[in-house]
Amino acid sequence: MKVPFTTQTHQSPNAKVRTTSFNEPKSVLDLVRCSSPSPAVNKPTPKSEVSALSESLFQSDDGSLHSEDQILNNLEDWDSLMRELGLHDDSARIPQFNHLDSQLLPEFPPSHSVVPTDFSLSSDQFHNHNFNSVALCNDFHHMNNDDFHFVDDLIRAADCFESNELQLAGVILERLNHQLPSPTGKALQRAAFYFKEALLSLLTGSTRSTRSSEVVQAIKAYKNFANVSPIIMFSTFTANQAILEAVDGSMLIHVVDFDIGFGGQWASFMREVADRAESRRVNSPSLRITAVVPEEYGIESRLIRDNLNQFACDLKIGFEIEFVLVQTFEFLSFKAIRFINGEKTAVLLSPSIFQRIGAGFLNDLRQISPHVVVLVDAEGMNDSGTPSFRRSVIDGLEFYSTVMESLEAASVGGGDDWIRRIEIFLLRPKIFAAVEAARRRAPSWREAFAAAGLRAVVLSQFADFQAECLLSEVQVRGFDVAKRQAEMVLCWQQRALVATSAWRC
Amino acid sequence: MFSAIGSGVGVHGDFQGLDGPHLAGDPCLVLTTDPKPRLRWTAELHERFVDAVTQLGGPDKATPKTIMRTMAVKGLTLYHLKSHLQKYRLGKQSCKDLPDNSKDASCLAESQDTDSSASSSSKIAQDLNDGYHVTEALRVQMEVQRRLHDQLEVQRRLQLRIEAQGKYLQSILEKACKVLNDQAAATAGLEAAREELSELAIKASNDSNGLVPVDALKVPSISELAVSLENKNPSNLPARFGDCSIDSCLTSNGSLVSPMGVASQAAAMKKRPRPLFGNGDSVPLEWMITNSG
Repeated sequence: MKVPFTTQTHQSPNAKVRTTSFNEPKSVLDLVRCSSPSPAVNKPTPKSEVSALSESLFQSDDGSLHSEDQILNNLEDWDSLMRELGLHDDSARIPQFNHLDSQLLPEFPPSHSVVPTDFSLSSDQFHNHNFNSVALCNDFHHMNNDDFHFVDDLIRAADCFESNELQLAGVILERLNHQLPSPTGKALQRAAFYFKEALLSLLTGSTRSTRSSEVVQAIKAYKNFANVSPIIMFSTFTANQAILEAVDGSMLIHVVDFDIGFGGQWASFMREVADRAESRRVNSPSLRITAVVPEEYGIESRLIRDNLNQFACDLKIGFEIEFVLVQTFEFLSFKAIRFINGEKTAVLLSPSIFQRIGAGFLNDLRQISPHVVVLVDAEGMNDSGTPSFRRSVIDGLEFYSTVMESLEAASVGGGDDWIRRIEIFLLRPKIFAAVEAARRRAPSWREAFAAAGLRAVVLSQFADFQAECLLSEVQVRGFDVAKRQAEMVLCWQQRALVATSAWRC
Repeated sequence: MFSAIGSGVGVHGDFQGLDGPHLAGDPCLVLTTDPKPRLRWTAELHERFVDAVTQLGGPDKATPKTIMRTMAVKGLTLYHLKSHLQKYRLGKQSCKDLPDNSKDASCLAESQDTDSSASSSSKIAQDLNDGYHVTEALRVQMEVQRRLHDQLEVQRRLQLRIEAQGKYLQSILEKACKVLNDQAAATAGLEAAREELSELAIKASNDSNGLVPVDALKVPSISELAVSLENKNPSNLPARFGDCSIDSCLTSNGSLVSPMGVASQAAAMKKRPRPLFGNGDSVPLEWMITNSG
């Protein structure tokens, strides 16, 4: 699982005021950019909750881990922030909204027996949203009746997005703000919180770009994650093995990586390549990586380049890394990437690229004749078809609460601080990206692969043994590896977490 | 011992090796006496088999069907031939690594065949049968050993891979922290400069008619910064900046992390003073900013 792309819209320096006016439906459709009407320099301006979270959490950063108290204090700030957003401050809200709000609220009683007449449910297989929430909640047998509410509301909010009733969505989300004020409680609740945040950000269009302090925190969280959970190692090592087998023997290896994360995968790849060359007493091949990255990946890209260069230098293998922007790739497809004759090419994909730019580029794959195309699906992409927004939210909720549960199982008691950090810095961005992609009805990669004529390659026995070995090392019980057709799937309590597969054109 | 076996003779694995009674006739098939009649590959039969295979161009080219036709032995089925051919092929493979021994073995086999008395042929068959058992067992054991060896190899490689990834993550974390600290230090320097400038601004505004009460706006927070700078604790600086509710370049998103480093921060700084220094003294001050940044 890699650190994902953060959401794209750039926030101008003055961006602290959120001016959403729900009583004017048309205006809600516009993504609210941060135009502060006056340079309200002195008074603490109501910040958008996304940037507020980042500020409250990251400002006091000195490169070392927060104490648990600090994190909790920051989480308590949620309350005040939420109140700020929920209530009406003078500048942002127009009094009319009050009237509207009170009109609508009584129509959503907790027993959800009343369905407003203008509320159109999506044409999904679940026609009764009551049934839907029960079905979801039955998966989590530890839940009691009280927990149903926020899931239900979340689904309802998702429905509103689908039917473009953004005003209604806003109202529901506001209610959810009170039910889910902070990422605490059980895994499902925390996941629901982040999904609520993601839905809210759809409305407000707010985002934040990464800053160095955040990158440090994210790397730290990633490192912890890799240490306690087999998810990362399973993904990277299975993919590496598939690539190694395909390009073995070549002196020039070129990898196109669409989800490079922090680059840790290539360090172990290089190590493997160097060791093989040494044992065969031949010269080490040279490795070239082209990483397709989002625009706001500047800091990470620099760090990755420096560190991978250093690593390669230490191992004495030829190395080069290039970064290509996603936007460029979107326009030019594989023409945006340099290919050299005589190289063996491997392509490493993850659903995030399909989420961003669709799957059209797969048709161009044949032209670059890769020796292998490896796909690591750590987003919980279920089977075929482009699901409805509601379906995506439900599936996503289930998937990420599974991930969080699997993390919790590794907790040895004492601070759960590190879990929260992993959730905030690694999972949260993915949830945001997933919600956004679902909104855009991004295609399912399986269908796209089938349409592009890719054929699955069975993974080798080495990969099998490696996965078994990995799991035996992991302290946590509950993980297992299953083989689904040509995929290797890491599961937590029989629920799929990561599916890795190798393909050929 | 194994080289003799490796001379390429195989037999049905479940063969009992009993000395059952021969049925009369030649060419004929010898069947065992156990409840399930199985074919006994006598030396004679085997020789016919080898001849046929050689005729057809070797064990890889020959197929059970063609061998059956070539051998023309009554009662011989495809089933018998399939398994016998497979064993023969495998035997041929392992035989490739022992060229000298196989020659001896085939000579031995040939010389034994030429004697061709009933007792000797059955004895050879017996030996061969025993040998085949051992081959089977050996093969199975080799499989198990290979598997274990592979698993150990995988474990070893996995350890190395984990180690490499861990080492890399550690180093990238350290570098990221360093970058962060460098930036904090750079901003500290900038903030010091800014402080000086604001003091100048205060002086300037005091000199002028004091149209904009600049001191009322900014001084408290900047003196806070000054205090923090005096404490000479650079790592705490970001915290300080966060506490100030001013929208300085440090709390805003883009400017601190610009790849151009200090230069862009100076450029960003350039924008900042405008709200502060609203009166006409802004020009020389900006000039001073760029010079000190």
